[in-house]
Amino acid sequence: MNSVATPKSPWQLKVYPIFSVLGWILIGLSFLIGLLVLTPTAIGYWGGSAKAVRDAAEAGTVLLGQLALLATVPLWLEPLVFVGVASFMVGIALESSSIPGLLKNRGLVMSACCPYLANTRSESQ
Amino acid sequence: MNEEKAPFPFNLIGKMMPAFPMMAVMGWMIVGVALLIGVFVLSPAQTTFFSDAKAVREGAATGSAFVQANVTRHAIAAWVPHFKFFGLGLGLMAIVMALGTIAKRLRHMGLIITKHMPADLRPAMPPPPKTVRLFQLGTVMGLMILMITLIVGIVLAVTIVPDYWNHSIANDLNTAEVGSGLLSQLGVVSSFAFWLNALRMVGMASLFTGISLALMVIIGTLRLQAKLLVGFYRQASGSREIEPAGAGVREPQLKPSPGLAVGSD
Repeated sequence: MNSVATPKSPWQLKVYPIFSVLGWILIGLSFLIGLLVLTPTAIGYWGGSAKAVRDAAEAGTVLLGQLALLATVPLWLEPLVFVGVASFMVGIALESSSIPGLLKNRGLVMSACCPYLANTRSESQ
Repeated sequence: MNEEKAPFPFNLIGKMMPAFPMMAVMGWMIVGVALLIGVFVLSPAQTTFFSDAKAVREGAATGSAFVQANVTRHAIAAWVPHFKFFGLGLGLMAIVMALGTIAKRLRHMGLIITKHMPADLRPAMPPPPKTVRLFQLGTVMGLMILMITLIVGIVLAVTIVPDYWNHSIANDLNTAEVGSGLLSQLGVVSSFAFWLNALRMVGMASLFTGISLALMVIIGTLRLQAKLLVGFYRQASGSREIEPAGAGVREPQLKPSPGLAVGSD
């Protein structure tokens, strides 16, 4: 015997917003780093110095620091973006996983309601 | 119990929702075209460019096959990835549209069931949730962002990128002085990917949010309908005394109910 009741709020619905917000934070952060850090640095490095100057940059110079930044940050920034994408996917999967329980409840509730709906129709005919 | 018509542009979006298979196919075709461009244009350009020693290809003069191949490979790299993501965006939009259609059908099903309830026990039909507008807006915004990145990519691919790379690497590009047009162009062609690729992912995030919100609408609709049905059951079973109020129910026995087509043979 199953009692007819509204479905309980599944735990997935409490957790999934965390993943969605995390996805936005990581992707938004990577956009800001790309726009405000990497783009000006790249313009400064490649557009602000001739190739001969860039190639002759010594250890400890600003140019070499810029090159190090441009060569290393994208290596972790891109995976960070995909952690954001994965967070969205986890959120979507969690949301979807709550649907079977709701449908099961719907089946039980509908089966309980059917006799009354049937009586209604036969009365009205 | 007719549904109120949604205002523009939501009515248009609502009408377009059942066309999700077409959107999915379009997205798939765009990604396929990106693959063909990679195989038949980008790959031969790369092969041509790397077919000789570094000194030869970098010393090649403007107008030579090496410089042309260099222009082609850089121009394609400027717009094709955005084109590919636009195709993926259409695929994600198709998913949102399919979920929206499911939510709409669920609501329609709720309306049909409500019509079978006695008038005195029939609950008022709640208005469509505000989340519907949000997921529609999120999806359109995501696709717009992807479209903007594609347009910017195409503009760069036909202006600055070929202008810069259509030079001899050793004789023109490597000898460019500070303040020259070539060095300014190098600054642009070397930096745009850092913000444009990230913006593309913001568009994707918007589309994922659209999917998430569309699922929330479906879940919310299922929960609300369950609440209304339980309310109806309690009232109907209490007032008609067919079963004692609050009594349990057995698992469905798949016997056809008289007068209801649902579940019958």
